[in-house]
Amino acid sequence: MGYAVDIFLIAVSAALINNFVLYYFVGICPFIGVSRRVEMALGMGGAVTFVISIASFLSWTITTLVLMPGAPLTRWAAGFFLPPEAAAAVDLTILTYIVYIFVIASSVQFVEMYVRRFYPPLYKSFGVFLPLITTNCAILFACLVIMGHVVGVENPAEAWDLGKALTLGFFGGVGFTIAIVIMAGIREELELCDVPEPFKGAAITLIIGGILAMAFMGFTGVDSGLRAALGGG
Amino acid sequence: MVSSAWVTIGLSAGVLLAMAMVLGYVLGWADRKFRVEVDPRVVKVIDVLPGANCGGCGYVGCGEYAEAVVLEHEAVNKCVVGGQRCALDVALIMGVEVGETLPYRPIVHCGAHYEDRLGRHEYRGEPRCSAANLVTGVQACTYGCLGFGDCQQACRFDAIHVVDGLATVDYQSCVGCGACAKACPRNIITITPFKSEQVLAVACSNKDKGRDVMAVCRVGCIGCGACARISSLFRLEDNLSTIDYDAYTPECSLEVMEACKKCPRKRLVFVGIPTPEDRRKARDLEAPDVVEPDFKTTVDDTEWRG
Repeated sequence: MGYAVDIFLIAVSAALINNFVLYYFVGICPFIGVSRRVEMALGMGGAVTFVISIASFLSWTITTLVLMPGAPLTRWAAGFFLPPEAAAAVDLTILTYIVYIFVIASSVQFVEMYVRRFYPPLYKSFGVFLPLITTNCAILFACLVIMGHVVGVENPAEAWDLGKALTLGFFGGVGFTIAIVIMAGIREELELCDVPEPFKGAAITLIIGGILAMAFMGFTGVDSGLRAALGGG
Repeated sequence: MVSSAWVTIGLSAGVLLAMAMVLGYVLGWADRKFRVEVDPRVVKVIDVLPGANCGGCGYVGCGEYAEAVVLEHEAVNKCVVGGQRCALDVALIMGVEVGETLPYRPIVHCGAHYEDRLGRHEYRGEPRCSAANLVTGVQACTYGCLGFGDCQQACRFDAIHVVDGLATVDYQSCVGCGACAKACPRNIITITPFKSEQVLAVACSNKDKGRDVMAVCRVGCIGCGACARISSLFRLEDNLSTIDYDAYTPECSLEVMEACKKCPRKRLVFVGIPTPEDRRKARDLEAPDVVEPDFKTTVDDTEWRG
């Protein structure tokens, strides 16, 4: 029961309450750039969700097996050169950023090839924003959040397992999709509006993004309420 | 036994190397699996296109047009920048015959400089035609060129300039992309097929009755119809002489020349690249010896009023 509640809360938190785009302000680039049409926004949300899930899976696996202090693979490899206590202390967390970027870039490349092969119109409409997922901070952010819950956790029982990491990644992507689709819907309506000349283009888009973010701030605190209601402690 | 630091360094390198190999293998497999065959002709066509990405052909950029040519059998002579030679190159790649390509060039249908315009008032607003066009009283003629140079700013080829209040096309630099015609809020610039280096044009857009035109402009077409009576090339539409460019031929008949002479306002003028005779004539005219560079052109003249 407790685990299911945890998963549920992580999902709701990632998707709505602490929405990546509208609460943490990561992933703004595609949020502004590809939110002109709802179909495009949906496609972008799908691509980001897919990449973020793969990246979460890979980054959790690599962090747990290789990068964190005392990770099994590292301990085994270091055991050839060092005494057991020293081998257990070998710490590769300095590599986290470069490894995450590496993983993200490869998954984006993979997605790009896949989309180009099977959805050419979507590929065309993405344009430069598809390779730009590589530098989409939402994805790196998800990886780093997962790392924060795996590495250096005081109580080992509280460290996240793969299920929680995947939940965060996937629902973070869902939250991104929700945000970008809402934005695209507003922007489609906006094209019919008489926007004053100085606000046209990026300015009005950023203002809408800000108002949207303020609206999402209304979810703040819902997670602790939910936790209390569900009896998760 | 080696030190712990060296083990960390070695393992870091090992981890990245292992990841590179694994991910490289996966991506290599994916590349082969998901390979998309691009028609090699598309690449070739992109190579011969000028790469200006001006949108003059009606497509977003040169790449889009190249795809349309190869895959959808779009006409090969749509590129206005490359002109006939580019069309020939593309036709060679596609193995098709190229039809006659006429260069399309803009014609500014207004001929009034500042001194010809009546009823001009001081305008202190945003110095753009699109803004000035919204208010009345900037100048009495509601059809003619406003002279704030929206077209000049839209031009990416430095081929249209406001000279003494009138947008003037530099046909030597012009490629005919049509950006100026889209920018003009009064729609006085038309993109016209040039059957020769110079074509005849009506340098006025005023559709009002003769007396009203006289009240606002010293040179505007008054719709007298003299040209239309002499030659069938001209037609009077809404008090404005118009030229039927489908019937227009580069060798103007005597009738047409007669009509040009008869025009009381001298609104039937030839526009285009100057002929050698014109240059010879211009040489005799007085011209300033030194041309001062105008550094203002590189400054963003947007005026922000907070």
